Amino acid sequence: MGNCFSDLEGGKQAVGGTQQRPNNIAATNNNNGGHNDAVEFFFRSRGIQPLFTQIELSLSASNLLDRDITSKSDPMAVVYAKKRNGKLEELGRTEVVLNSLNPAWIEKVIVAFQFEIVQPLVFHVYDVDSKFHNVPVKTLKLNDQEFLGEATCVLSEIVAKQTRSLTLNLNNKNGHTSLRNLGALTIHAEETVSSRSCVEMVVHCSHLDNKDLFSKSDPFLRISRIVESGGSVPICKTEVVKDNLNPIWKPLCLSIQQFGSKDNPLIIECFNFNSSGNHVLIGKLQKSVADLEKLHIERSGANLTLPSPHHGHEKVLKGQLFVDQFCEKQQYSFLDYISSGFELNFMVAVDFTASNGNPRNPDSLHYIDPSGKLNSYQRAIMEVGEVIQFYDSSRRFPAWGFGGRTIDGTTSHCFNLNGSTGAFEVEGVEGIMAAYARALHNVALAGPTLFGPVINTAAQIAGQSISFNRNKYFVLLIITDGVITDLQETKDALVRASDLPLSILIVGVGGADFREMEVLDADNGRRLESSTGRVATRDIVQFVPMREVHSGQISVVQALLEELPGQFLTYMRSRDIKPGPLHAASTSA
Amino acid sequence: MASTFLRTLEITVISGEDLRNDRRPIKKNAFAVVRTDSYNSRRTDMDTDGGSYPKWNQKLVVDMSMHAQFITLEVQCKTSLGDKTVGTARIPVSDFVGGYVPESYLHFLSYRLRDHKGERNGIVNISVRVKVPEYASCSRTELGIPLGMGVALGQRNFGGGIVTGVPVLCNYPGKY
Repeated sequence: MGNCFSDLEGGKQAVGGTQQRPNNIAATNNNNGGHNDAVEFFFRSRGIQPLFTQIELSLSASNLLDRDITSKSDPMAVVYAKKRNGKLEELGRTEVVLNSLNPAWIEKVIVAFQFEIVQPLVFHVYDVDSKFHNVPVKTLKLNDQEFLGEATCVLSEIVAKQTRSLTLNLNNKNGHTSLRNLGALTIHAEETVSSRSCVEMVVHCSHLDNKDLFSKSDPFLRISRIVESGGSVPICKTEVVKDNLNPIWKPLCLSIQQFGSKDNPLIIECFNFNSSGNHVLIGKLQKSVADLEKLHIERSGANLTLPSPHHGHEKVLKGQLFVDQFCEKQQYSFLDYISSGFELNFMVAVDFTASNGNPRNPDSLHYIDPSGKLNSYQRAIMEVGEVIQFYDSSRRFPAWGFGGRTIDGTTSHCFNLNGSTGAFEVEGVEGIMAAYARALHNVALAGPTLFGPVINTAAQIAGQSISFNRNKYFVLLIITDGVITDLQETKDALVRASDLPLSILIVGVGGADFREMEVLDADNGRRLESSTGRVATRDIVQFVPMREVHSGQISVVQALLEELPGQFLTYMRSRDIKPGPLHAASTSA
Repeated sequence: MASTFLRTLEITVISGEDLRNDRRPIKKNAFAVVRTDSYNSRRTDMDTDGGSYPKWNQKLVVDMSMHAQFITLEVQCKTSLGDKTVGTARIPVSDFVGGYVPESYLHFLSYRLRDHKGERNGIVNISVRVKVPEYASCSRTELGIPLGMGVALGQRNFGGGIVTGVPVLCNYPGKY
């Protein structure tokens, strides 16, 4: 039962504009919610960008139920992440708004966006009963409050929309639609990273000291940021240049998140690489980004110094650092592209070779379990499809099979999964599953395992789409149980496709030895070469055998997806394709 | 008129990787020569300090006959004994002409270089764009035909036997 009177003093509290009330729950939350400095610094010191993008959710509601007798409800919203086991984990809450059935909350809730998993969110709106003046919102016991309604959605649904806003109807708990109109909740998402600035530099050193005995030093640079406590935290490291006392390194790109501000002092250390891990310091210097810009403009060098064993003094070395190129640019994020209309188009190809085993046999990789347990093929389709489907507005996915003998008696290495001769698309992930199940009845398993025709068809679709618009990127998922028999043709097809807006994810199911397949995934640095002497422009293939066990929340298949935003960005940035005009923030959809 | 039987290519020679002279990495002064036929060739400047991983990032504009099937790219190195060819790549024209993508697509391509003995000797990275002449691209847009479908118009028609007029509208935009 509601109070007769609202907490007037509570409603008069300042929010957001003055002292920032730390969203404590989000900060201490380790997996999904929190901003974990230690993890970010760990990755950055290895030159890897932080895996999580921080998203700020702004909430507002309309037509809420009126619970109070003499005044209106005092609503507050709570945001939860729904875990795989169904449990709800609180990510944060807004403040309490006095006397309003159409609140626009000021407090934001921060969520870490992870491209490769589905992130279901649950929103609860409460009418706050108790006095909330001078009480931290997080200490309010939800069980004491009046429940006003619940809404659920998936995070990528919100960020993939052009307006980055989603309006949901509020229902009863557990999704039961209420007989009464409980109102609606609007969620707006923004990346917390407001600045897209980054600095690209080319630096070289001259006259470095030789620290190696029989050859010259193998220098590399490590750049660290000085933190408030006085220590330093590494933010990036260059590659090692072998045997060179006047090394030039590949261009460095530092984002403003890494160096903070152009005046923040950075420590640049030059080490001699040692395979034992004991890198010897050749020299160091302290410069801010603004200082480095000055070095570039003046075309002058800065001397490295070495802390001398004789207390306090630093030995000034002959070695100098020069900044050959310096330019500030905007580096757009993956979500910038997505929300300006770029799409990921999903395509899938399923292996119908005989090595899978007769589908009627429970041992077969293609066995459809009547109890509903998904086989490896179905799991791979679901795990990739359910993530990518939000990034494709049409939800129409090309689906093929290969290595099977179709109704007309011929073995095809790229036949439409839906059985039709012309149209190769199906609707939604459910459409793929349905077409797959039907195809198992109509197609006889044959062989051999050839990827070439499927890759060429996908490449054709990707290439032709460029004529119509530049904002589509294609993702082909190939699920196979065996090693390919046309390795060179596959390499040729991949090399030809490497310059197109296409990424290929290959999942190996079953117990075969997939080592040969790993050569397609050029992670070890060896670029694929075609039979005509052409070399792949970029690495567009990710391969993973499904039986690899991963601990944690991300499945093996979803680990494939982690690289996708990076491959997408590499393609767009190399062609200087920028996202469209970003939409102004709006809290209503 | 010279453009009737020729295509103009914008080739940016970006960089080379792992270039060797007699198995030893070269020290400096590598440059690249693009040759479309015995009459048409262009070369980049020398990279004086890039060593065996030179970076040129230099755009070369070169004409190519419509008949051509291959263009050649040679990486050479200036030594005290003269210019030595480090490696050659034969680039099929079909790698950047025809195919599914629009004609003006910027292709990023990489090729294996082979030395005079036919052994592998590094990789060269380039980008190629076929320069589409103004009036040809104008007429395609006018008709709303998706690029890449190869409708013969004007100069693209060489040897096809179909007579097509070049739309006057595009040649003299001021008049209409």
